Amino acid sequence: MTEMNNEVTIALKGRIDSNNAAKVEEEIRTQLEGKNGASVCLNAADLQYISSAGLRVILRLKKNYPDLRISEVCSEVYEILDMTGFTEMMTVEKAYRVVSVEGCEEIGRGANGTIYRIDQDNVVKVYNNADALDDIRHERETAKLALILGIPTAISYDIVRVNDSYGSVFELLNASSFSKIISTQPEKLDWCIKEYVRMLKKIHSTEVPAGKLPDMKETVLSWAQFMKDWLPEEAGNKLVKLVEDVPHNDHMIHGDYHTKNLELQNDEVLLIDMDTLAVGDPIFELASMYNAFVGFSELDHSIIKEFQGFDWDTAQKFWHGALAEYLGTENKRKIKEVEDKARIIGYTRLIRRSIRRGGMDNEKERQKIEHWKKELLELLETTEKLTFHPNELELEADADNLEEVQAFVGEHLDAADCPPRARMQIDVAVEEIFINIVSYAYSPEKGNAVVRVEVSEDPVNVIITFLDHGIPYDPLKRDDPDVTLAADERPVGGLGIFIAKTVMDDVTYEYKDGQNILELKKNLK
Amino acid sequence: MSAQKNILQGPVIDLHMHTTVSDGTDLPEEIPAKVKEHGIRLFSITDHDAIKAALIVPPLLKEGDPDFITGVEFSCKDELGKYHILGYGYDPRLPSINETVQKGHNLRMKKVHARLDFLKERFGFSFPQGELNKLLTQDNPGKPHIANLMVKYGYAKTKEEAILDYINQVHFHSEYVRPEEAIAGILGSGGIPILAHPAYGSGDQLILGEEMEERLVRLMGFGLKGLESFYSGFTPKITNEMLGLAEKYGLYVTAGSDYHGRNKLITLGDNGLSEDTVYPEGMKRFLEDVRRHEV
Repeated sequence: MTEMNNEVTIALKGRIDSNNAAKVEEEIRTQLEGKNGASVCLNAADLQYISSAGLRVILRLKKNYPDLRISEVCSEVYEILDMTGFTEMMTVEKAYRVVSVEGCEEIGRGANGTIYRIDQDNVVKVYNNADALDDIRHERETAKLALILGIPTAISYDIVRVNDSYGSVFELLNASSFSKIISTQPEKLDWCIKEYVRMLKKIHSTEVPAGKLPDMKETVLSWAQFMKDWLPEEAGNKLVKLVEDVPHNDHMIHGDYHTKNLELQNDEVLLIDMDTLAVGDPIFELASMYNAFVGFSELDHSIIKEFQGFDWDTAQKFWHGALAEYLGTENKRKIKEVEDKARIIGYTRLIRRSIRRGGMDNEKERQKIEHWKKELLELLETTEKLTFHPNELELEADADNLEEVQAFVGEHLDAADCPPRARMQIDVAVEEIFINIVSYAYSPEKGNAVVRVEVSEDPVNVIITFLDHGIPYDPLKRDDPDVTLAADERPVGGLGIFIAKTVMDDVTYEYKDGQNILELKKNLK
Repeated sequence: MSAQKNILQGPVIDLHMHTTVSDGTDLPEEIPAKVKEHGIRLFSITDHDAIKAALIVPPLLKEGDPDFITGVEFSCKDELGKYHILGYGYDPRLPSINETVQKGHNLRMKKVHARLDFLKERFGFSFPQGELNKLLTQDNPGKPHIANLMVKYGYAKTKEEAILDYINQVHFHSEYVRPEEAIAGILGSGGIPILAHPAYGSGDQLILGEEMEERLVRLMGFGLKGLESFYSGFTPKITNEMLGLAEKYGLYVTAGSDYHGRNKLITLGDNGLSEDTVYPEGMKRFLEDVRRHEV
């Protein structure tokens, strides 16, 4: 008998049947004398057989010690406990097979463990933490949840002992990680980006029932709170406020979404390493992706090669390609806006991580921390919120930006398979409205405009909204120009709005929260 | 019938316990008070192959005492296995049940004699005639009783040692009442035959699934009427399997602890029933029908 943390462990040996059940029960009771309220663990490592007389001993014990659990149960005994419903009544832990990973190919590495291929069909994830059983159970639960919610993933079917730690075994046939594909077949980079983003969008569109997964916002908030001691007061407060202002989001995020955690099995893309699953705003995910492909190796480009197997340039191509694909735009301004938001959280995490690992005591690490801090402070000055809308572009209301606005709108129309005629009409309307804002909203000062593109599926409608903080002005109030007059007889202006009204199905204006809001609507089918 | 009303409101019931008439440690006379103390409103004493308690207890019951129904637990065996068969609500004065009890007793005594002979021949253990007479006139002597004697006369240090190192050194081809005989004996005296702790066979086996169902169907062919589905040693999963079978075959359902007094660590009334258990149809029917058999 051993006692640890108020848990008494009693070893069971050999066989328990009608010949010795009474004696075993008496021995157990003697050992537990005066230990009312203790948690009891029966260690079954040396138990070979149990008959129903033995089961009754356990059942009676369970009545007096409700926390009773049985550990290291061999498969024969486990089968009996399972068949009779004991596994439903109490924690019954199987004895673990011992597996060696010596000489096995490493196919993935995450925050909590490393994944090795142990044979053609199976891989084992070895946990860094020696007492990883709770981690393993947690990951199995989250993986099951993800699978139920429609995310393709591998579920571990066995727990094994590996050296001094535990591992969970998965079936993963003929699979290779995206890191490996990118490293060995560079021509597949674009395909990998598309599949990677397809899965990412699937994760982010998955709603998780309340309370099933941790909220990433709380985690990030704790990082931000930590940073307050290391940043000027104003910057620290702003960082915390930025995170606090991120609205609660019940959609799933993976939390460690990089190319070693995505596997191609036959033709199916599978997500692995599910222990970091959480809910939260997508910006939290993009922040961890930023670190995986850029942040960690920003100051030492060899790190990415060691971690992912492909080089720094490939990583940059992948990261920017994935971000563009995710946002549905090639617009550099938009990509940079979102990347900068991700970097705020990314640097916060890198700095905290480094400080907690004693980075301040090491000259090289201290330099890194200083670099990240400088970047973070700059970003904090220019950022007002961390959330983003992929379909929104904010830029200066300047005629030079017209082309960019049209290209941005055009990408979304392409994605919605907009017919060429409608596309041309929308192009004209967008030009007229944007130039209208450029000419009148802030004149003679300068100011920003926001253009938002929304496409609804059924019916297929496109709504383009222009927002500016200029002087309140309803262009629709103006009389339509008399187009029967000759050009030189017409008054200046007004024709643009008229064209927009003519080619769109609906144009509405409102002034709200200090903004001019002009909405153009076009039915595409 | 105020007790009847209580029953339907869900009293605690315990229909499986042993006294000194077999291998329990409480006298039958002590049982009503103990049962009452545990809040049990309906009980039955089910000694192995013996019905003496059914004659001792009823005259002792006073107004306000728990209700009693007659009971017995036959140890049975045939070519296909061993069974414990409970009988409830029989008339203890009728010949049918008494003949079955007598047959069981005779077979048991035959084995006691054989064991005593074996101990004498192999190890030279012998006991004073007075002790032997006492042993042989007990209602239901068996291995534990012989073991106690061995300890008393210094042939073994403990009861366990006596059984494992000496008594169990020979295996007798035990003879038991056949299940169809037990069932017929119970039915012949107006009783209801029920299979005890079905999933555990005669006590230490594990019989579930198809094997259990085959066994049940065979015994139903002899006239078995129900299953002890609530039992101190059953997990909820086993109880559910038993209830499923009872429902499938329209059988009675009973509940029992298998209390043995100090001999086993089973509490009276411990049978998996709780205040919020919804009594299955088969149990309600049993509680109504077992009384019709009362004389």
